[in-house]
Amino acid sequence: MNEPLQQALEFANYRQTFAIQHKTIKEKIDAKLTVGWSGGIFKIDQSLITFVEMLITMGRTADVPLIDSNGNPILIENLENFKTEIFDRYFTACHEYFQEYEKLKKSRSVEALLNI
Amino acid sequence: MKKGCLIFAHNNRDIDYAKLALLSGSLAKKNLNVPVSLVTDQSTVDWMTESKIIDRANNTFEHIIVIDRPKTDNQRILHDGFEKKVIPFVNSSRSNAYDLSPYDKTLLIDSDFLIFSNRLNQYWDTAESVKLAPAANDINSTDRLGYHDKFISDTGIHLYWATTVMFNKDLYSKLFFDLVETIKSNYKYFADLYMFNPKQYRNDIAFSIAKHILSGFQTDTLNSLPSLLTVIDKDILYSVDGKKLTFLISAMKAELQIATAIQDTDVHIMNKQSIIRNFDNLMELV
Repeated sequence: MNEPLQQALEFANYRQTFAIQHKTIKEKIDAKLTVGWSGGIFKIDQSLITFVEMLITMGRTADVPLIDSNGNPILIENLENFKTEIFDRYFTACHEYFQEYEKLKKSRSVEALLNI
Repeated sequence: MKKGCLIFAHNNRDIDYAKLALLSGSLAKKNLNVPVSLVTDQSTVDWMTESKIIDRANNTFEHIIVIDRPKTDNQRILHDGFEKKVIPFVNSSRSNAYDLSPYDKTLLIDSDFLIFSNRLNQYWDTAESVKLAPAANDINSTDRLGYHDKFISDTGIHLYWATTVMFNKDLYSKLFFDLVETIKSNYKYFADLYMFNPKQYRNDIAFSIAKHILSGFQTDTLNSLPSLLTVIDKDILYSVDGKKLTFLISAMKAELQIATAIQDTDVHIMNKQSIIRNFDNLMELV
């Protein structure tokens, strides 16, 4: 096999490993961004955080029905507690994602990718 | 309300399901912080004694529930990387999970589903009485799963995966598991009705039909458990180093393997032999 082809195949192997590693990190972060609360399941994202913050700013802090990720209405008794939980989870998960993704980007070989 | 995890294990001549159950049970107990019980048969218990894992099993499992070994003609092709073998497959007792479970809220898992996070703890109190995994999520970046991993047949309904099932002890769950038993007992009739191949009994299919019927003959993939991160049996669990599991992933249509590693993520490893080969290192994570 000539050298350019060998190098191309090695790079293809690296890119495939990169893609799978990225996918599995996203899977792990996705799990951390899912919270069960009052019988509902919520996917924590910017729109949920913003909406909850807006409700609290508007003075709606108790017994607020929210639509969960399954489309079901869930009564949140204490919205401040809910906000604290989703804020903590979101920033912990995003920091972890950022750190792991930075390591992923800087890894220039299959061996380095596997050591993240 | 007592929560707990339930695992079925019936050994065959090729796969030590008791060992797999000991591992998956230990991981579930550690990472979900719930008790775990095992449903098995006397010959498997005898093998656990002979292979000297019975003491660890007694420490891990809150209850070891011994039932009659289910009679089965089921066979399946099981890959171990590029090698494959036809093996007997004893899987027909899961419809009894409702009656056998000692818990009010039960997480029923396959013995090749390894829990490394507390993700499933988020789902105990959701409204749905019976929750299944709506899909398998191939670990490979390109989905290698076939149509029959997503639908029960070419023209059939959505396929749920019974690898993880969470249920409450209530009337709906009783109805669900009674219906699964009816489907199992009349498998060829339901194969005609739902137009799937009845050659091999699959819990995934029986559970999917029961879910379809009890959802008012509709597909409802909401109100489910999370999809299963799945490593197919053509892939190999290569090594376990600390908390890191390294796999060799088989590429599509080629005898190439791509390496990848995961940690702190729940994973369904269909290559059971490769779990057994790494059993000692995996048990160190417990």
